[in-house]
Amino acid sequence: MAQPIRILTAVPICDGHDSAINTINLEFIRHGIEVVYLGYHRPVGDIVRAAIQEDVRAIGISSYNGGHIEFFAEVVDLLRKKGADDIKVFGGGGGTITHDDAKIMRRKGVDEIFFAGTSLEDMVKFVHRRYSKPRGRRVKPKSADQELAHKLTGIEDAKAKIRSSQSAIRNSKVIGFTGPGGAGKTTLIDELVLRFLNKDQQSRVAILSHDPSVIGEGALLGDRATMINSQNDRVFMRSMATRGQAGGLSPATKDCLALLARSGFDYVIIETVGTGQEAMPFQKNGIVEQTVLVMNPDYGSRLQLQKIVMLDLADIVVVNKSDLQRAKTAHTEIEQRLEQNRRKQRLLDTVAKRHRDPGVDRLFDLISGNAKRAKERRKK
Amino acid sequence: MSKLGSVVESVERYNEFVVDQVKRARTDEKFGRDLLGRWNDIKAKIATTSTPTGIPLPRLALPEIDEPGEIARYLFGEGLPGEFPYLNGAYREMYLEPLREVESLERNGGPSRTGGKGEKKALSAAEEPTRLFSGLMLAEDTNERFHFLTAHQRTHRLSTAFDGPTLYGIDSDADGVFGKIGEGGVAIDTIEDMVRLYDGFDLGSANFSASMTISGPAPIIMAMYIAAAKRRFGPSVVPKLRGTIQADIFKEVQAQNETIFPIEPSLRFLTDMVEFTTREMPRWYPISISGYHIGEAGSTPVQQAAYTLSNGFAYAEMFAARGIPVDQFGPRLSFFLDCGLDVEYIALARISRRIWAIGMRDVFGAGPKAQLYKLHTQTSGRSLIAAEFKNNLTRTAAELMLAYMNATNSCHSNSADEPFTTPSEEWIRLAAHGQAILLEESGIFKHTMNMLSGSPGMKAVEHAVEAAILNEFREIERLGGVLAAVEERYQRSQIQNAAHKYEQQIYDGTRPIIALNKYRNGSDDVPEVKLVRTPRKKQQLQVDRLAKFKKKNAEKSKRALDKLAAVVESGKNCFPALLDAVEVCSLGQITGQLQEVVGRFRPMV
Repeated sequence: MAQPIRILTAVPICDGHDSAINTINLEFIRHGIEVVYLGYHRPVGDIVRAAIQEDVRAIGISSYNGGHIEFFAEVVDLLRKKGADDIKVFGGGGGTITHDDAKIMRRKGVDEIFFAGTSLEDMVKFVHRRYSKPRGRRVKPKSADQELAHKLTGIEDAKAKIRSSQSAIRNSKVIGFTGPGGAGKTTLIDELVLRFLNKDQQSRVAILSHDPSVIGEGALLGDRATMINSQNDRVFMRSMATRGQAGGLSPATKDCLALLARSGFDYVIIETVGTGQEAMPFQKNGIVEQTVLVMNPDYGSRLQLQKIVMLDLADIVVVNKSDLQRAKTAHTEIEQRLEQNRRKQRLLDTVAKRHRDPGVDRLFDLISGNAKRAKERRKK
Repeated sequence: MSKLGSVVESVERYNEFVVDQVKRARTDEKFGRDLLGRWNDIKAKIATTSTPTGIPLPRLALPEIDEPGEIARYLFGEGLPGEFPYLNGAYREMYLEPLREVESLERNGGPSRTGGKGEKKALSAAEEPTRLFSGLMLAEDTNERFHFLTAHQRTHRLSTAFDGPTLYGIDSDADGVFGKIGEGGVAIDTIEDMVRLYDGFDLGSANFSASMTISGPAPIIMAMYIAAAKRRFGPSVVPKLRGTIQADIFKEVQAQNETIFPIEPSLRFLTDMVEFTTREMPRWYPISISGYHIGEAGSTPVQQAAYTLSNGFAYAEMFAARGIPVDQFGPRLSFFLDCGLDVEYIALARISRRIWAIGMRDVFGAGPKAQLYKLHTQTSGRSLIAAEFKNNLTRTAAELMLAYMNATNSCHSNSADEPFTTPSEEWIRLAAHGQAILLEESGIFKHTMNMLSGSPGMKAVEHAVEAAILNEFREIERLGGVLAAVEERYQRSQIQNAAHKYEQQIYDGTRPIIALNKYRNGSDDVPEVKLVRTPRKKQQLQVDRLAKFKKKNAEKSKRALDKLAAVVESGKNCFPALLDAVEVCSLGQITGQLQEVVGRFRPMV
């Protein structure tokens, strides 16, 4: 069976008009398209970097604030410069893009511009018609990231297999993040990334993030839109849809992770989709070295805690949103629950949405192995 | 409970109070007699005017009632125009033509032309009916445009639109913004641009006011405006500055997406600015609490009114918590609503005015001037469509009618060609004329206050809308108040949901849009237009000027930014440090420095 088409959508820099693209995204995913959504107010560099890392077939840009001729052209040019002109560009802007503009834009390499009044159906048809044919021979990658992205696509489309002998090789620290939906995993990871980047000016981080596939087999892969710090040349991020697999990961996760883990990143972070109580996405003896369970203080009754399997397995448990009223009770209850396990599990409180949150600093110290600093911070 | 919960209670209590007064008027004979006496006094004082055809009309129309209970219901429940709870208008005479023989005693501090009548100037001669929103290319181009627009006007009310980079607090030399310089508004990077923007206008004059439509970086732009004014006129100009800056953070997060710092520091910078302007610039409106963008993003009318009001109360709570007296900041708040074609718009602003007055008086202890919901209305851009676009004239005219029936203090009417282009001179002119035709040519609003107020249908809408707004308040309160609800994306998802329903209704035909899903003639041709774009040469000039500014101030800017960072860290009011910083730093440098300290806004998707 053919794999879903992957595209990336975004709204240009200095433009906050996201209402049209939100509607279009939903229509795409209902029709079997996987959409990596980058959000609004995004610069050319972020769009092109994301498109290459995600190895999408095309970029859809929704522009309502003018300057579209230059902006679209800059995207096309940068793709070309990066050796990624197999990634196509299309878009629209209601009445703000005139027919004359569109002519210029097409001449500059844009595939298609949709005008006001184009039906959602026509847009979906266009994407299917234009971008569903299997890609032929891939162009020779111009960068390591591009090569990696191509390989990941190969794995995801089940064209390539990691030899089992290779899966053990690892030169990165691999950390797994899981937890219920809405606990703040994505924000927390993004805040950690900021600290990784600031700590060591050379280090590189890879993120493998997951979102569920919906009925109709499409998926909205939206983590990049909130991960503002992770849109950086030193971060390689790949968004995957679960494509029908339960448990919070995708059928290709293991092989993709194995590849990332031996690709020279200092840290590889894997984030599951929001999980339920029974989910146990990271197995012992797997590639993941350290597991973090991110909890929301509002998990319900104390009894609920007994049922969460990951509480037995996680190395670090984080109560995020610890500014909420219920957080203190949650901390105490989870602490008692962890004591039953008699493992040296760590319990931390964070407020990931807060800039420079000391709780996130402590988590960073734990993960980055700076035990001494972590201890000092604990004393404070 | 946040103050919003108290507002709900205060409105409920007030409604009970009205019912009690009605009862009392019917049972307490003396009270009833006094009311009747007051009613007769009011009626006796109403001046009479004469229409062009010579029939006499009262300047104020009142319901034909003489029973004390009904008089109580009217006076307490609605209030005369200009009287609590202000259902019929914030001011006594609003759009009425001046009457030569009547000396008016009141003066109002309204933000706009239609509220003003105290100085007995004929409407047409005193202030022209339109606010023309403009901003294009570079500061000198917009300046030229401002001079053109105001060439024959006695009062200079400039409404300024900024380009994308400015709205997001970044510089014209930032990565990937070159094509956006001067598009959709004016490019402002430095104090030097701000000096150019208003060059030739007397910023301290009572006949001048500047309105600046910007929210995310509003405190920085405000500081630039003040610093530019000081450069030109010296420090004594500061208390004389008049104008409005939008600075509405909540609606940005709920609907418009032009937020640059996380919510809490954004609100703190806003409060720093408000504390400064209410103290130093008593004629300035430091925030325009805006439902327009909420409406345009697809909310229902009730959501628009409810979120705008609740945002307003949340700001009031915040400013009061900072220790700014309510009677000092209250009169400096103003509101901005969208007016579309749904029936709720018959009374949306009337009810908003009433709820605001009750909440401000009974929950915040505000005096009369701080109870006024001073309103600017714009007709709905979303209601206009490209197909057979000349119909948009009718749509806008109907919306203007609704806006004036709600006694808005000022109004902007959209151009019919907006769905497919930046408005052209011809259609801008027609839109402006629409207002003049209704207010000056027609007799609907100029002879008699309350001409269309209080019909049975209008009352029915008022009751339904008020109940629905209070329900929205209760929901927000249940989530922990406005800030908590915003952080939970409550308003955002409600708006998106409403937008989706609206589109669905158009699609399935249950919401008729003439010439779109009904009475279509099949041809969707719109005139092909040539847009005026900012030439590359100008964009390059802006970048070059900025580079020169940065080079010139390289050392000083570093020191100013360090100082700014220290003040922000300290938690003290950072507005004075902003005033210093804008002298030597660009908008983008300051935004960058502030983001270092407080972080960047994380979009909600």
